[in-house]
Amino acid sequence: MASEDKEREEQLVREFQAGNLEVFEDIAAIFQRQIYSLAFNLTRNQMDAEDVTQDVLLTLYRKIDTFQGKSAFSSWVYRITLNASYMKLRSRKKDKLVSIEETFPAFNNSGYHQEIIKDWSESADTLTFSNETRENIGKAVDQLPEKEKVVFILRDVDGLSTEKVGEILDLSVPAVKSRLHRARLFLRKKLSNYFEEYHSKETQKK
Amino acid sequence: MICCKECLDLLYDYSEGTLPKETSASLEEHFSDCPPCISFLKTYKATTVVSRKSIKANEIPEAVQERLRDFVQNLKKL
Repeated sequence: MASEDKEREEQLVREFQAGNLEVFEDIAAIFQRQIYSLAFNLTRNQMDAEDVTQDVLLTLYRKIDTFQGKSAFSSWVYRITLNASYMKLRSRKKDKLVSIEETFPAFNNSGYHQEIIKDWSESADTLTFSNETRENIGKAVDQLPEKEKVVFILRDVDGLSTEKVGEILDLSVPAVKSRLHRARLFLRKKLSNYFEEYHSKETQKK
Repeated sequence: MICCKECLDLLYDYSEGTLPKETSASLEEHFSDCPPCISFLKTYKATTVVSRKSIKANEIPEAVQERLRDFVQNLKKL
């Protein structure tokens, strides 16, 4: 983010804290996309994402005084969004227990790959534009356990830095890296299954 | 020479380009002789790229934007 943007945000927050209610519209306009996008990625549901966005805006409006500026304002907004999204998810479903380790590669006793590793990276690029593929990837991300999912979305999807993700989640940088690595391994396996299946279907057609 | 299992642990830092030169070199030495690890590396990297393309940019639908605008307007009346 450009530093002028950050300065402008901080200025708006200070004005709002000082009692200028008019600037809340600007604050909402700046942050609602970030809030909605994260809420949607976590809940994968438009109505839930809208509810969460409203909840978060309401919280920002009412609790702005509790923001002390110890971290960036955007980190604070991310944290509130995460909490609101988790509340929504908890009310909706019980999390199935997923064993993330099961998706890690298997090695033989000498430490070499036990399975055949197919390289689908070239074909993936052209397939990404089909709706079916996008939907499948969305589902795979949805299956990630919460801890890994949030790190993957913030870092690999939204493109925040490892340090920023650590600040939002109150995690050390090595912890962020480790969760991200686990998430990538899980998704790599899910995508491998998908692309291999897709490929064999295509070959049968020919 | 390092084995595939050890490669896996280094993959994150290798793909971020944060591995020390020597470690990086021994990893590449392994790759030069191990097609499965090359496939694994390529698909590991592709996972991030493909996922980002697929699920990024959740634009707020027009109708939702309107409702949020009303919502924010009403907050001030509270």
